[in-house]
Amino acid sequence: MRRARWAMVAALAVVLALVAGCGVTPTGVRAAGQAPGGVAPGPTLYFVDSDRHLQPQVRPTEQLGTIAEALSLLLAGPPADADLHSEIWGVGTVQVTVTMAPGVIRLMAPLASTDVTAFGIEQIVCTALGVDVQRGGARSTKVQIVFTQPTPESDTLRTCPLISPAG
Amino acid sequence: MTARLAWPRGLRARSVWPRGSRGRRAWPRGLRARLLVAFVLVTVFGAAAAAWSSARSASTALAAGAERQFVETVTNQITANAAGLTYPPGQSTLDQLASAVGADTTVTYQNLRSTTGPDSDLITDAIRAAVQHGDSLFVQRIAAQGRPWLIVGTPVVITSTTGTRTPSGIQVYAVRDLTSVQRQIHSLTRSEAITTGLALPLAVLLALVAAGSVLRPVRRLRDTARRLSAGDLDARAVPRGADELADLTVTLNEMAESVQTSMAAMRRMQDDARRFAADASHELRTPLSTLTAVMEVLAAASQEMDGDARESAQLAIAETHRLVQLAEDLMEVSRFDAGTARLRTEDVEVGGAVRDCLRTRAWTDQVELSAPGEIWSRCDRRRLDVIVANLVGNALRHGAPPVRVSVSGAPEQVWIEVTDSGPGLPEQVLPHVFDRFYKADEARSRAPGSGLGLAIALENTLLHGGELTAGNASGGGARFVVRLPRGREDT
Repeated sequence: MRRARWAMVAALAVVLALVAGCGVTPTGVRAAGQAPGGVAPGPTLYFVDSDRHLQPQVRPTEQLGTIAEALSLLLAGPPADADLHSEIWGVGTVQVTVTMAPGVIRLMAPLASTDVTAFGIEQIVCTALGVDVQRGGARSTKVQIVFTQPTPESDTLRTCPLISPAG
Repeated sequence: MTARLAWPRGLRARSVWPRGSRGRRAWPRGLRARLLVAFVLVTVFGAAAAAWSSARSASTALAAGAERQFVETVTNQITANAAGLTYPPGQSTLDQLASAVGADTTVTYQNLRSTTGPDSDLITDAIRAAVQHGDSLFVQRIAAQGRPWLIVGTPVVITSTTGTRTPSGIQVYAVRDLTSVQRQIHSLTRSEAITTGLALPLAVLLALVAAGSVLRPVRRLRDTARRLSAGDLDARAVPRGADELADLTVTLNEMAESVQTSMAAMRRMQDDARRFAADASHELRTPLSTLTAVMEVLAAASQEMDGDARESAQLAIAETHRLVQLAEDLMEVSRFDAGTARLRTEDVEVGGAVRDCLRTRAWTDQVELSAPGEIWSRCDRRRLDVIVANLVGNALRHGAPPVRVSVSGAPEQVWIEVTDSGPGLPEQVLPHVFDRFYKADEARSRAPGSGLGLAIALENTLLHGGELTAGNASGGGARFVVRLPRGREDT
């Protein structure tokens, strides 16, 4: 029966093709997600200008660095020649401890709540958040500043008006 | 009236054996074999398809998983190190990033280039172009050097504080050998193939069970049909279940029933007819014997008669003899029909028996006998005599002299050939030559003879287990050949 013999041959061929088809097959070029980021000529620090507005200023350190490094730069003060000032007082070169929790950046600064104005707090929040976003973090991340003396301010989850999404 | 009621032998033999069972084709013809093949094919196909699809999805998942993991590693390494990289980068920065991402990594920035590992040649132009013009991460799988490879290419972007992404000009390409994934997939495929193979004996078993459940009723039907065709009209099959085979069984039973009914009716009618013929010929005997006695007296007296009277008397005597012969033949035939004819075999020298037959009938001078040597056979001497006498008588009556009888023998058989020199048997007569009262030529219906001679010769031959054939000799005359088996035991 010629028909049956052909059917057998076809079946065998199909089975062989199926077996042979398994394996890693070459593909074309496919997009597979966002490109990683994190390089920058330097961190963006936030200061207050003479109109009492928050102003970003890139400090050209040739690398983005960490949040702590950026905060150290911020606490060290504004460049002398710029028309900007900082509203954080009484500190020199200090180390800020940064702890990352899900959705929250917790900063332990050697500051009392009396050492900063509201602008000063925003300077810290925006600088920390800016570095985090540049390193790939989300803009909706909140910032918590833990002051040296006990105060309810330490529990507030803050946002930066220049970075955080509205709402 | 039909002569024999028994089922023809040929029919029985044909119904038992399927035609074409000599295996002309390689394709299996038996129901069991076909079911087996179909079952096995279906099972193997099903199992193979399932195995194939599962192996395929598993291998896709394996490959995709390996790909995702590699992309994640590369992305994480870049992300973790990027913030510490000098920008714009120098050669040392590129070296730093390349070694951070891992082996087989190439990092480029404008004209600068840093490579770890030898496989950077594998990076295709297609992925370079894609990375050059896009701002997302790209992957490509290729086969090179007989192995599968995964290439990841990505620009490193500068994210602004507000989340805007711009290419930094740094591009990272990483190559990974996928041989281990390939090996995993192959072992998966192999195990799937083995599983498929394991389904095979199960399929065979199931097919045998299924074939059995179909074939058992078929076999019962066949046995019943075989018994029916062997003449056992009481045979019936018990229908089981309510499927098509049960319907077929019921139909077969109905058929057997109706065949049995009509056979019984036919047999009854034939019995009646036969009994009538037997009774009639028997009843004719007594008046005929009286008539014969009277005729002998008349024969004696006719010597003194003269002219027309004597001729009439002789005609009456001849016709009476013919009537007596007819009654005798009728009784003989009815004995055959009733199945009461019995062989009484003895060792007979066939040539001598034929010679005796011719001599007692005073045919020796009209018939040439050729019987070389002594040929012994076990047969019924009286019936052999009847056969020869009827054939020779027929040849003398209807053929033309010289009539030749030749006897020949072989280890297993004996042939007696009766040939005349007449015009032979016409083509249309041949099939009816052994029919009772068949007259080939209406004009010769007045010829002496009962019209039963050849039929009786045939019945006697068949009773011996031999055969009687009619035909024409090459010379033109009619030729009858009796073949008798030698050394036949009493039946």
